[in-house]
Amino acid sequence: MIEVQGLRKTFHDRKKGDIPAVKDVSFVCRPGQVFGLLGRNGAGKTTTLRMLATILSPSAGTAKVAGFDIIEKPAEVRRRIGYLSGDTKLYDRLTGRELLAYFGTLAGMDTAKIPARTEELTGPFGLKDLLDKRIGKMSTGMKQRLSIARVVFHDPEVLIFDEPTSGLDVFGAREVLALVLDLKKKGRTVIFSTHIMTEAERICDEIAIIEKGSILRQGTLAELGAGNGSGSLEDVFVEVVKGETDDV
Amino acid sequence: MTSKTLAVFRKEVTDTLRDGRTIFAIFVFPFLLYPALLMLMAYIQQKNSDEAKTFAVQVGIVGSAQLPAAAEKVRAVEGVTVVSLEKEPANFDDANVQALLVVPPDLAGLIARGDSVKVELRYKDADNKSSETAKRLSPVLDEIRQALTLQWAKSRGATADAPPALSVEQKDISSKKEVGRYVAALMIPYLLIFMVAAGAMQTAVDATTGEKERSTLETILASAATRGELVLGKVMAVLAASLTGAVTGILGLWISFGILASHISAMQSQSLELSIGPAKLVLLFVTLLPAAIFLSAILVAIGCFARSMREGQTYATYVYMASVFLGLSSFSQGQSVPMKHFFIPILNTALLQREILTDTVQASHAFAAIGSSSLLAAVMIVVAIRLFSNEQVLFRT
Repeated sequence: MIEVQGLRKTFHDRKKGDIPAVKDVSFVCRPGQVFGLLGRNGAGKTTTLRMLATILSPSAGTAKVAGFDIIEKPAEVRRRIGYLSGDTKLYDRLTGRELLAYFGTLAGMDTAKIPARTEELTGPFGLKDLLDKRIGKMSTGMKQRLSIARVVFHDPEVLIFDEPTSGLDVFGAREVLALVLDLKKKGRTVIFSTHIMTEAERICDEIAIIEKGSILRQGTLAELGAGNGSGSLEDVFVEVVKGETDDV
Repeated sequence: MTSKTLAVFRKEVTDTLRDGRTIFAIFVFPFLLYPALLMLMAYIQQKNSDEAKTFAVQVGIVGSAQLPAAAEKVRAVEGVTVVSLEKEPANFDDANVQALLVVPPDLAGLIARGDSVKVELRYKDADNKSSETAKRLSPVLDEIRQALTLQWAKSRGATADAPPALSVEQKDISSKKEVGRYVAALMIPYLLIFMVAAGAMQTAVDATTGEKERSTLETILASAATRGELVLGKVMAVLAASLTGAVTGILGLWISFGILASHISAMQSQSLELSIGPAKLVLLFVTLLPAAIFLSAILVAIGCFARSMREGQTYATYVYMASVFLGLSSFSQGQSVPMKHFFIPILNTALLQREILTDTVQASHAFAAIGSSSLLAAVMIVVAIRLFSNEQVLFRT
């Protein structure tokens, strides 16, 4: 479960002064649900998710992730989350097996259980040929499979995906979306940011449209007025964002 | 040169000049650093030069009764105490002298017969204090030669056809082992610091700024590990790299000068008898450790601060240069090193290691050097953790 309450983030720039990146964002994401954060580049998606992953600290407001406050108990939060961003990369000089063992250890797993967990994920994630290969020699698709395996390796309750399909071809993107749906089936709490409308339509149970750091509209596809004969999510998104800004 | 080349040149220069940190690293920092280093070095050399003229030494004279003028001349030199000896001592330490003036036993007879006479000032070039004593006595040797000539002239009624060969010479009597120890004491501390800094530099930048540049930083920041655990792990990795560099470097040096040089005829003159026992090796390692941790932590802190590998490497290069300079400045330290020098990081380690290698360790020096280095290492680790926990530092663009 993720409960976000009045979350704000302001960055300070010596020349530009205070720059609000996230303004008073609130939402709830329940277990067995995929919550989509839909917005343009620079809308505040990454900053929001970084705060939930305790990479950044909020300027105001707070959130509970898996029952723990992100400000008061960041270590407990991090123990229970898996975080994957489209921008993050892997260590080229490690093998697949070494990478999984590294992140398993960082997640606080019992090191004796790491080999068995690696074997357990080998089949479902198609890791057989990747485990003893250096990451630098892997294809983009291979790296993506390994990235996903890394995120779920310690079996986290909450998954935070920040534009995880960016830079992937259609097959890679499909693999990621299939994983997200699989995690949802398993009852995990999933938050997923994207600017690709079709992805959001396909996997999200609830969507929040974010623009300039504020959530403009939030609800299921039907509540947003998309799908089932009405306009597409893209139409809704454009209409909502256009009403708020002169930039489009 | 085409206009396109010039356009590229202009763009790159503009790009560079608009980066405040690059300007600081290229123009401001070197502008301040080099004069500061030069002034510090000049100050240390001046101090050493002043000390060398005044520090107290004992000069043994064997056969002073044969040539009373010699003892008078030597005694007149500032800071020199003359010790009259019956016979040549087995070594300087036994007689507690830093140099030995040896007058032949039957000087009067030799002069009367017109035989050659050689008065020797024996010293050890491999011992700083001894070689400084020899330098200080050098002008006196001419006066002793004059005294000898006068003595010869008197014995011949001052009407001799030709004077006998009267020589007053300096003679370095350092053994090969002593030379080896001297070179080791001078070079090994500097080389250890040089190698530690070189070994730490690349790993530190790669483990910190490299994570930013390769976009792997977020993955570890979102892991269950605390910032402190992450930084300590990185400092330990940098430390391992730096110590490995130092150990392999010293091994290479020992193989080159201790083994290879003595077996290759063309290099035999450069072979050294380097005999450093296991106890000294352990002591060298123990004294190096706080300095290596300090250097590793400071480089990790710099890596956390830098925005790019280029920026990180630029800063790390200055840390490396400062370390090398401090290591080098141990070369010019005189006999009585001021206590405050044992509180200067890196330099204190080199000075303490020199004492270890020459069996002249003073407890106060050891406590000051190891204590201050350990404290600074702890402070730098805390600084590195603070920087790594500061999102404005980690995510600044």
